[in-house]
Amino acid sequence: MATNRQTWGTRLGIIMAVAGSAVGLGNFLRFPVQAASNGGGAFMIPYFVSLFLLGIPLMWIEWTIGRYGGGFGHGTAPGIFHTMWQKNRFIKYFGVIGIFGPLVILIYYTYIESWTLAYSFFALTGKYAGVATEGAMQSFLRGFQGLEHNQHFSGIGVAYIFFLITFILNMWVLYYGIKGGIEKLCNIAMPLLFVCGIILAVRVFMLGTPDPSKPAWNLMNGLGFLWNPDFGALKSAKVWLAASGQILFTLSVGIGVILTYASYLKKGDDVVLSGVSASSLNEFAEVIIGGSIVIPAAFAFFGPENIQTIARGGAFNLGFVTMPLIFQKIAYGAFFGGAWFLLLFLAGITSSVSLAQPAIAFLEDEFNLTRKKTVMIFGAATFLLCQPAIFFLGRGVVNELDFWGGTFCLVVFATIEVILFAWVFGMEKAWEEVHHGADMRVPGIYKFIIKYVTPAFLFFILGMWFVQEWVPLLSMKGVSGADRPFVMGTRVFLSLLFLGLAVMVKLAWNRKRKGGAR
Amino acid sequence: MKPSGWLFMALSWGLIIFLSVFSFYKILTKKKVD
Repeated sequence: MATNRQTWGTRLGIIMAVAGSAVGLGNFLRFPVQAASNGGGAFMIPYFVSLFLLGIPLMWIEWTIGRYGGGFGHGTAPGIFHTMWQKNRFIKYFGVIGIFGPLVILIYYTYIESWTLAYSFFALTGKYAGVATEGAMQSFLRGFQGLEHNQHFSGIGVAYIFFLITFILNMWVLYYGIKGGIEKLCNIAMPLLFVCGIILAVRVFMLGTPDPSKPAWNLMNGLGFLWNPDFGALKSAKVWLAASGQILFTLSVGIGVILTYASYLKKGDDVVLSGVSASSLNEFAEVIIGGSIVIPAAFAFFGPENIQTIARGGAFNLGFVTMPLIFQKIAYGAFFGGAWFLLLFLAGITSSVSLAQPAIAFLEDEFNLTRKKTVMIFGAATFLLCQPAIFFLGRGVVNELDFWGGTFCLVVFATIEVILFAWVFGMEKAWEEVHHGADMRVPGIYKFIIKYVTPAFLFFILGMWFVQEWVPLLSMKGVSGADRPFVMGTRVFLSLLFLGLAVMVKLAWNRKRKGGAR
Repeated sequence: MKPSGWLFMALSWGLIIFLSVFSFYKILTKKKVD
């Protein structure tokens, strides 16, 4: 049975932590582009359908199985899956995905998070002041990333310093554990994040018509670009895929972090209402705040023709090129630019500590290492693993890590979770487990939804993505000849990492068997 | 923005604000985790 595992200090603490894990750069950069490009207001129909049929059920499933496994001393998927299906010797190896996925995301996410810290500093100190065109701002970014030498940066040194600061901050939080580290961070960072977000949204809503000579370039039309519905888009499977994909990504379900966080709950702690609360906080950050900043502001300053190009340019371009250009055109732009990048940094760090926790929990729970020793080992290993994303940035390494960790593993793991929960563990037992200590009853229809609809939805996504996106990606379509070795190298590395983690699971179980433990 | 755009924005915001207020109200009126 469970030894002295850490626990959350308060109920609000875990809600803030799960919301912190969920709220990330995607809430503010990915969602607005997805919505605007997939039917505008009409996108919200498949979006909310996906939220209620996919996102919230998976949220409940992860909270429940995490709490269940934590009761047996397991904070990660290998142990949790094993307790749910003890007759099966192999299920714990499928659980490796729940450690592998977060780790793979972490090793590039930390670097991107450090950019947001750097840019908040740049915004407040005027480092990019006077950089007035898209091309010049892109050059600024590329110089910062070490991809080119220019008048702003002579190398990657500044970026690396900010990476070191960010990395050390993450390790410092993790060192203090669940209550003293992660919970404390999120209790401060999440309210501050919402304050920054609301300030920025209000400022955007006051933009009006920035250039009177271009009356069509205004806030209302910008909001219209995002919200005016194109019902024809609903006939396209691509739009439904985009909406369901966005829900999976935005709630951070299927990664393995929520079940690790939930493992630190006590058996009588509610998961139903807490899961809904964390989800609603994420949706507030995404739809209300995220939908009110980048697209409306970009439309007001760059107009209806350019917005299409901007939206297609991707999240990094939007966040690190378009937005700094906009902030330079408004009064107190340095303050608002600082608030923008601080918002992104807070969203990032509350997510990155959650991505680290499964690996740390694995070492603590399955090898009985102390937290100090675990964080030191984890810190050293992860520091090395982060280097390729920094030094091979333009080579397709980050894209590859993001695909395997952030897309492939996510939907595969979510599918395994729901099948295990509803079909192996059994819906009756699962229903009872969900409601232990619950402060709210799950509507009865969810018995049907979780058993049949959610898995069917996930198989649909899995199948469509495999054909439409994964086959071209696996065959390296669009990857230049010069970058192919880097992409292949990343795949070899990931295979070895997965294998290494699987071996560690085997070692941990052998250890336990010799020690006579369960 | 078209009236339909306003409608979708209002409905989306309304649903999310309702979910948020509802869930946190229920939490605040229940006992906390100790």
